[in-house]
Amino acid sequence: MNDKFQTIDFYQREKTNYQLLPFNFHVLKDDRLIFTNMVGEYYLGNRSLLNKLISKKLDSQSKEYIDLRSKHFFYDDHNDSAKELLSIKYKTKKASLSEFTSLHMFVVTLRCEHSCPYCQVSRQTDDKLKFDMDEETASQAIDFALLSPSKNLKFEFQGGEPLLNFSIIKFIVKEANKRKGDKNISFVIATNLALINSEILSFCEEHDIYISTSLDGPKEIHNKNRPRPGKNSYEKTIDGIKLSQNKLGRDKISALMTTTEESLESVKEIIDEYVKNDLDGIFLRPLSPYGFAIKTKKIIEYNNNKWIDFYKKGLEYIIDINQRGQYFAEFYTSVILKKIFTFQDPGYVDLMSPSGIGIAAIIYNYDGNIFASDEGRMLFEMGDDQFLLGNLKTNTYKEVFLNSKLLDPIEESFSGSVPMCSDCAFENYCGADPTYHYSIFKDFIGRKPESDFCNRNMTIIKHIFELMDSDVNIKKIFLSWIN
Amino acid sequence: MEAAFIKSEFSSVAIKKAAYVYINKFSIDISIENDKYLCRLNFNESLNPAQQKYYLNEFKKEVLDQELRESIKKETEDVRNLILAHAFSKTNLIDE
Repeated sequence: MNDKFQTIDFYQREKTNYQLLPFNFHVLKDDRLIFTNMVGEYYLGNRSLLNKLISKKLDSQSKEYIDLRSKHFFYDDHNDSAKELLSIKYKTKKASLSEFTSLHMFVVTLRCEHSCPYCQVSRQTDDKLKFDMDEETASQAIDFALLSPSKNLKFEFQGGEPLLNFSIIKFIVKEANKRKGDKNISFVIATNLALINSEILSFCEEHDIYISTSLDGPKEIHNKNRPRPGKNSYEKTIDGIKLSQNKLGRDKISALMTTTEESLESVKEIIDEYVKNDLDGIFLRPLSPYGFAIKTKKIIEYNNNKWIDFYKKGLEYIIDINQRGQYFAEFYTSVILKKIFTFQDPGYVDLMSPSGIGIAAIIYNYDGNIFASDEGRMLFEMGDDQFLLGNLKTNTYKEVFLNSKLLDPIEESFSGSVPMCSDCAFENYCGADPTYHYSIFKDFIGRKPESDFCNRNMTIIKHIFELMDSDVNIKKIFLSWIN
Repeated sequence: MEAAFIKSEFSSVAIKKAAYVYINKFSIDISIENDKYLCRLNFNESLNPAQQKYYLNEFKKEVLDQELRESIKKETEDVRNLILAHAFSKTNLIDE
């Protein structure tokens, strides 16, 4: 007899004696609950199932028993390896932490020819060359970035409007490619596209550079949100999108929008604008509480609940587009779905715990200042240096990464030990975002019941699960967005 | 408004965690009277009586859920620590 296999008696005996593994639960609508284990695997059930599970009264022959056991909510004689598998999954989920820092943002100029009232950045008018990054600073930033343990790096050029200092972008791309050794570097220009031309696009094509732009919706909304001389931001952006798609391919350009009061009643029209321009998704984004958005009081024009309604209506419309056979994704939802269904962290800084500041993304300002996050740079422009980690000219890599201004917020905001987060069933899908909480509460944690960040993400994640629970076709659509 | 929880059935940790969830709706004074935790809820002025009643009920339900979470946590604390220790070590859990 082959003793590699258990006998039939082994499988037929009663197996009601099981031990719980760590898990949390959260109430959804209509008496439905979500259970999540310590690595983010989930199961949807009702209150009765929860009570049976905890009181060890699950029928060992039931589907729930088999499913919950296979998802490591408990272990019995049949899955002794559950603990080891959970630890491997946990380790896999956190493996990216040793591969820091992947995203390096170069603020190549603060100049901008737009004057958007919601701008998060303290832009300067486009004639002040002193706000441009020079070659010496750019060179130091490249060397600093290449010290990162991560093998795969992304260099993102930001502003102001980065194309106003295109010569330094060319310098950085060429120098980085010369110096990169065995690292892989991808490049992205975050631009309003007003200055794009065939020369710039030829360079982008030659060096495989991606374009990320802003499109706030139809002409009336976009031009109201994004004023520039000539009042033609919309026309410039649309022309730039088409030019870029033709030259680089449609997969090389993406866009995101910022929600203003003007946007709130027009989510369908905004999404239609994206579909019309052959973009394969949209990032529905609320205003951030930094920079000009504070100065111009744009940030107080609408509250969190209004934005959540806007997001839900938009998501419903996007699902409808997919149900009619067209692929179109909502990118914030995609980030959360990737965290729900895979063990690979999408690296979205706001939704990471430990926080991704510095270790997922780092910012090099035009003057050599190094910030733990883009929002940290914005706070600095508002007079608060909490997230200023050093300067390329005066500080070493070690000094920057061991700076308590980086380590303290990462450690203190870790959601596994934060009140409410540590008991939250959505903790695996959410993030810490110490910069946001510092900007609002002046500490890295804040009280979560008072935090718009917590309220927004709890509501969105709950909504995503309720949608998947209500309709298997919606789940299929969501799964198609993960990759 | 007040809510009372029998000491032998509820932990103060569960009550405090439930109160924290509603920290943006009310503050709470907790005292012990006989064999009960007595919770006096001081609602924000913006909440009307119907809303106050709603949040009182939500608070009571949340205490029950927090009690369940505490019991799961208590039962699984050792295995959780073991899993985390193993995740950050290079040893083999089964062979150890």
